[in-house]
Amino acid sequence: MELLRYKSDIYGQRIVEGVSWDLLWIALAAGLAFIVLHALYTQRKLRQPQNDE
Amino acid sequence: MSEASHGRTGRVLRHRLADRVFHWAMAVCMLVLLGTGFLPVLGARFAWVDPHWIAGVALAVLVLFHIVRALFVLRPAEMRVRWQEFRGSVRTTTREVLGAARQRKNIGKYSVGQKLFHHAVALVVLTAIATGVVMMIGIDGPFWERNPFLISEKSRGMVFVLHGAAGLLSITMIMVHVYFAVRPEKRYMTRSMLRGWITRDEYAQHHDPELWSE
Repeated sequence: MELLRYKSDIYGQRIVEGVSWDLLWIALAAGLAFIVLHALYTQRKLRQPQNDE
Repeated sequence: MSEASHGRTGRVLRHRLADRVFHWAMAVCMLVLLGTGFLPVLGARFAWVDPHWIAGVALAVLVLFHIVRALFVLRPAEMRVRWQEFRGSVRTTTREVLGAARQRKNIGKYSVGQKLFHHAVALVVLTAIATGVVMMIGIDGPFWERNPFLISEKSRGMVFVLHGAAGLLSITMIMVHVYFAVRPEKRYMTRSMLRGWITRDEYAQHHDPELWSE
């Protein structure tokens, strides 16, 4: 998987065109992973007693 | 009566109408921008350029409005992450993750996490707006003619990288933002973004009057 997209300029040189669109799935997966992990963690924590400060 | 208090109703004002309108207008702009930015990547074929830049200009105006309000009407100090507060929050969270019992700690108007999230969103959105303005110069618009020679091809590539990265980060951040907005313990905050207020009980239960004065 590449991080960037490339294209050739008028001189035939390889130049950066933008971010790789493969990262779209990484962005979605990162959001989903955070949500699932946080939900599991919070569920586990809510079962434990709480200390008032 | 103080800024946050709705003395007679037993409610505490959390977000004024102007700030709520800003929030939801920004949400609409972000959804239009992400839809017009990424649906074509996924294969949808439609004329996305005009709605994209129009939503981008609307977002820029909204952000400018918010910056002016934040500096001259709202209390910027409520958004500042103090070092001691940050250290305490990291320490408490680390202990809890490592198995210690939950600590109930009342927050100011916003938690450290909310403030850091706001600053991350600010950085990402301002990057998207700044790079978007440069990209707009490369297309014809109703009030300007395109100038494809303003920056070099290499520089344009970097502008596209930053704009794309800001868009991708926005997707992750919106997912996390919506997740927290619908969590049961945060729903009173979501309601306050719709109706403006939280109850006095919610204020007493979750907030520290020394950090968020009524």
